[in-house]
Amino acid sequence: MQHLERSAFLFMAIGLVLYAGLSFGCERLLFRNGHSNALYKIATAPPAADYDWLVLGASHAMPLDFDDFNAFMQHETGLRIINLASPGTGPLYNRFVLQSFLRAHRAGNLLYVVDSFGFWSRAWNEDRFADVKLIRGTPFAPATVALMSDYVRNDGVSPKALLDYVSGFSKVNNRDRFQRDAWEGEAQFDRVYRPSVSAVTKRIAYLYPDPQAPAVLAHYVDVFGGLVAIAQQHDTRVVAVKLPAPAQFRNQLRGEAAFDDSLARILAERAVPLLDFSTELDDPSFYFDTDHLNRTGLTELFQRRLKTLLMM
Amino acid sequence: MLFTSLEFFIFLPLVIAVFRIVPVAQRWAVLLLASYVFYGFLHPFNLVYLGAVTLVIYLCGRWLARTEKPSGRAAVLAGGLVVVLGSLTAFKFYDFVAGEISAANLIPHFALPRLGLTAPAGFSFYAFSAASYLIDIYAGRLTAQQKLAGTVLFVAYFPKIFAGPIERATTFLPQLWSGLRSDSKRIVLGLQLIGWGLFKKVVIADNLAQMVDHTFSIVSFAPPVELLLGSYFFAFQIYCDFSGYTDIALGASSLFGLTLMENFRRPYLSRSTAEFWGERWHISLSHWFRDYLYIPLGGSRAGPLRRAANVMIVFLVSGLWHAGLGYGVGWTFLIWGALNGFYQWAGLATRRLWRRVGEALPRVKSSAALAVLRAVITFHLITIAWVFFRAASIHDALVVLRRIGARLGDLPSLFAIYPFSTEQLTAFGLIAFLIGYEIVDERRPVFQRLADAPVAVRWGAYYLLIFALLLLGRWQAKEFIYMQF
Repeated sequence: MQHLERSAFLFMAIGLVLYAGLSFGCERLLFRNGHSNALYKIATAPPAADYDWLVLGASHAMPLDFDDFNAFMQHETGLRIINLASPGTGPLYNRFVLQSFLRAHRAGNLLYVVDSFGFWSRAWNEDRFADVKLIRGTPFAPATVALMSDYVRNDGVSPKALLDYVSGFSKVNNRDRFQRDAWEGEAQFDRVYRPSVSAVTKRIAYLYPDPQAPAVLAHYVDVFGGLVAIAQQHDTRVVAVKLPAPAQFRNQLRGEAAFDDSLARILAERAVPLLDFSTELDDPSFYFDTDHLNRTGLTELFQRRLKTLLMM
Repeated sequence: MLFTSLEFFIFLPLVIAVFRIVPVAQRWAVLLLASYVFYGFLHPFNLVYLGAVTLVIYLCGRWLARTEKPSGRAAVLAGGLVVVLGSLTAFKFYDFVAGEISAANLIPHFALPRLGLTAPAGFSFYAFSAASYLIDIYAGRLTAQQKLAGTVLFVAYFPKIFAGPIERATTFLPQLWSGLRSDSKRIVLGLQLIGWGLFKKVVIADNLAQMVDHTFSIVSFAPPVELLLGSYFFAFQIYCDFSGYTDIALGASSLFGLTLMENFRRPYLSRSTAEFWGERWHISLSHWFRDYLYIPLGGSRAGPLRRAANVMIVFLVSGLWHAGLGYGVGWTFLIWGALNGFYQWAGLATRRLWRRVGEALPRVKSSAALAVLRAVITFHLITIAWVFFRAASIHDALVVLRRIGARLGDLPSLFAIYPFSTEQLTAFGLIAFLIGYEIVDERRPVFQRLADAPVAVRWGAYYLLIFALLLLGRWQAKEFIYMQF
């Protein structure tokens, strides 16, 4: 048995060395193929960068950085903008991104694109930390480990997410390891959506997986309040916006009135303005799917509203 | 708790560590506790069903031991079986039957209420194990357990609880009480089995599952080539999913010094459907049906017609047992069972003819080419039956078969122009590897070959296996197919 134990120890030691090598290779690959992950953008931004605007939110905010749109906005406004929105994320994950960002960089303003779905379920908050697509695009950094450990201790994030991140398992096990780490919506940015009632119904069911509990909403509104407080402590002015959505989609949203009330209360407490553009662009031709603005829609919104907002 | 989950990879070493610390005589207690933790991990309420089944068979077993009157013994056995197998039947079929009665409007203005019953995971497996416990006591093959603990562990033993093997108390309990010890040989074998089982599950089955699910969700629109590939891929998916589970169960048991029965023996190398079902596929279930249904019905001793009827009954019941297996409860399972029953009939009907051909042409009979041809034909017959097993409805299964059949002649040219995806090409590679492995294993077990190989070769193979799991495995699957019913 002793011989077996010695062999097992040696076998595991060699295996760990091989795994470390593999993990290192996958980490290098991440820097070659990284693209839309918020933590990747933070890691590859110039050291101690100072931005005029930081954009946070879920996938609805991501088209602002699709293709060359962020460059276009920067060119039009002469401002430095970094977009750190992440798909399917509510205020908890965005707070994590903001804290990661503020550790190394600064922003004068924070544009937070609010989506009610992100405030109704832990699926878009605590559970997102364990999402393999997000983890495998997040570069390894001891500071991120420390911050994620805090979220595990204090915010109910699963220790499995931390273990996955620390071990690099999702990066090693990444099926798309040789492809650019881009959110699938980006490839459709120039597409025009053909309205479909069933697609909207499916999408709404996906975005609101849980029964809407007021206590859950109150919790995530508090988390959002914490995010605003962190930004304000770093002298970052916060502006909240609701981006346009097609009428067909908007009309099926659940619990929107309760969400608006709670949001208005916390924003008023923190003296944060809310700009509601949700009814601005009803025509489906402004969207590439049920609820994401395409290039035409964003350009229209930029000319109508965003440019003025950013220049304020 | 799933064998492919992080929790299991923490749980198993913990159990092994405690198991090794505890004196041999008390090790069963560690396994008993671990089994209840394992089974109740996701759905603690399921422990109530498990406990109830265990208590019923324990009490009936004790009662049988005390009862001498034949009619009394038969009544106790019947009572126990009605509770165990009756609840299995109710869990599986009540809602389905209620729905069918309502849909058929057999009794005007009457509809049975739907109760939303679903069987707890693994119920079909431990219900059959529990039934065999009672029948074996009744038949005098087993002495009723004095200690409740033995019965509890026999039913709940965690490596086998979700998807078997459907173990017999006659072989399981003696191992338990003779002292659980594991030597280095058993540990190495256990780890080899776990590794290989994981490979079959997360690398082969779960990679194929993506394509199979897609194909069977669009049977009316998928190109015939894709339907054919989907059918082939499902044959390998279900094999690797189920036998992968079994390998892990056998491997984990080996670490505790327990030997569970072999459940799969390279089934797609079978040269007949009789060989497939009798000797190579889900052996523990085939033997269960043989011993507790086929033989009591008269088996093959009651004349050819009765034998044929018995065979069909076994396969129809087997179809019913499989219903609900992750693909809903539907008539497809009965068709699947009947089809396999027909294959056996065809085999029985042509047996004499084959014997004569063999006598007339002995060289042809023993030729490798004929063996390969027979294996290929058997595989296709089984795959046709799998289509009914996997399809959402009989209509869907017929659409798949009809659309493949209609373009059978064109398939070579269709294959030539079909734009194979990377996933499909990877799947071909994995299946080719599996077939090659099994052919080599059939001649002499690969584990034995590895044991005799130089350490560099052996460890190289292990590292390759582990890195294949890491690089190619899909670890996000939420279940094994067979544990869902």
